[in-house]
Amino acid sequence: MYIKAISAISPQLTYGDEYVQGDFQIHTKGIINAIEPNYLAIIPASLLRRMGKAVRMGIGAGLPLIKNYPAIDGVIIGTANGGLEDCIRFLNQIVDYEEGVLTPTNFVNSTPNAVAGQLALMGEKMGYNSTHTNGSLAFDNALLDAKLVLESSDKPMELLVGAVEEISDYNYNIDTLNKHYKTESISNEDLISSTTDGSLCGEGATMFVVSNEKEGAIAEVVDQFQICFPENDEIAPLIVDFLSKNKLTPQAIDLLLFGNAGDGRTDFWYNNLQKEVFPNLAIHTFKQFCGDYRTASAFACYQAIQLMQKHSIHGFEGQQPTTILVYNQFSGERHGFILLRKLPLAMKMEH
Amino acid sequence: MDISRDDLKIEFKQHLITYLNLLDVKVDDIKDDESLFGGDLGLDSIDSVEMIVLLDREYGIKIKNPTEGRQVLVDVNTIVDYIIANRTK
Repeated sequence: MYIKAISAISPQLTYGDEYVQGDFQIHTKGIINAIEPNYLAIIPASLLRRMGKAVRMGIGAGLPLIKNYPAIDGVIIGTANGGLEDCIRFLNQIVDYEEGVLTPTNFVNSTPNAVAGQLALMGEKMGYNSTHTNGSLAFDNALLDAKLVLESSDKPMELLVGAVEEISDYNYNIDTLNKHYKTESISNEDLISSTTDGSLCGEGATMFVVSNEKEGAIAEVVDQFQICFPENDEIAPLIVDFLSKNKLTPQAIDLLLFGNAGDGRTDFWYNNLQKEVFPNLAIHTFKQFCGDYRTASAFACYQAIQLMQKHSIHGFEGQQPTTILVYNQFSGERHGFILLRKLPLAMKMEH
Repeated sequence: MDISRDDLKIEFKQHLITYLNLLDVKVDDIKDDESLFGGDLGLDSIDSVEMIVLLDREYGIKIKNPTEGRQVLVDVNTIVDYIIANRTK
């Protein structure tokens, strides 16, 4: 599976050129909110007024790709929580108004497949449309789904695949009660070096145009692997097998892009893997840019591809990787690996 | 309920902007006799449901008959007249 184009709305200035020119946005409020663009340039006001944050971020990141790649046939989205703010608002209304008259807009936004559905409607995409909601592997599964769809097609095909997550009061409060976020005040700039419990809550929408043909592609999703509730000593041999399956050794990896979240309870997963399998490679991280959320591995893939394009990402100066391993887990429960390889720019000229 | 018809119009328009999340629309932009559907506001069928919710929650009015709804949800004047005649709160 090949990646032809990428787009993101994130806590960094990824919608413009600032992010790839080395700009780093510092967030100090404990919640790393996305920096949203002026959607009115992308989404008609009559539609925008009905969109919750998750939906408008998803549309804002995905619709420009759909417009630039008219051959896109279907849409596959991964989201752990979808439009949770509207979902809970809708559920509260059921109680507050005793199951009486309810507003349709909150309901429309509350369903996780609202993003993929709206993208298909606005982009007039009649093909495969699917939304994966299995927690912190939702994006990984969306990617796997896209791979299966593309592999089953006997003709050139393009899909829009991506992930969306919003910070809502509800998921933030629930995850806070679950001790997922730090209690002390800390900036995202200092997140990764922190060793206290918890991380910083993030959000964003990340979209990719994927295809089963190499022409015009900038990167390849070589393979991916997922595991739930592994034992502590299970990850290292699994990743060696994973690489071996792809005819690679650990030495073939140029850059490790790991999901260290500054969480003293779970960062050992990354650190142990690096020590055991990649002792000659440093860990590079992405959650200082986007915060911690269940589908953050999509942002990691976005960042990996930007690095492959030789862009000057803050803290990655001088890096020109060809093969990048993305490893992310959430709460130590669900772990996902995505192996990405740069394609030579000359590939566009081959045909 | 001691509110003049003109004040009620302004109040209803404010509710309309809030319930329908009409971006960049101000009270003065909504004309009393301008058709709410098919006009400059660009409202559609989902907005009509939102307006029914608005009338229920803010004025205690339940519109259950679609024919009645079509006669009421025409413009600000018709809706305000209906509110004055039927409000329960």
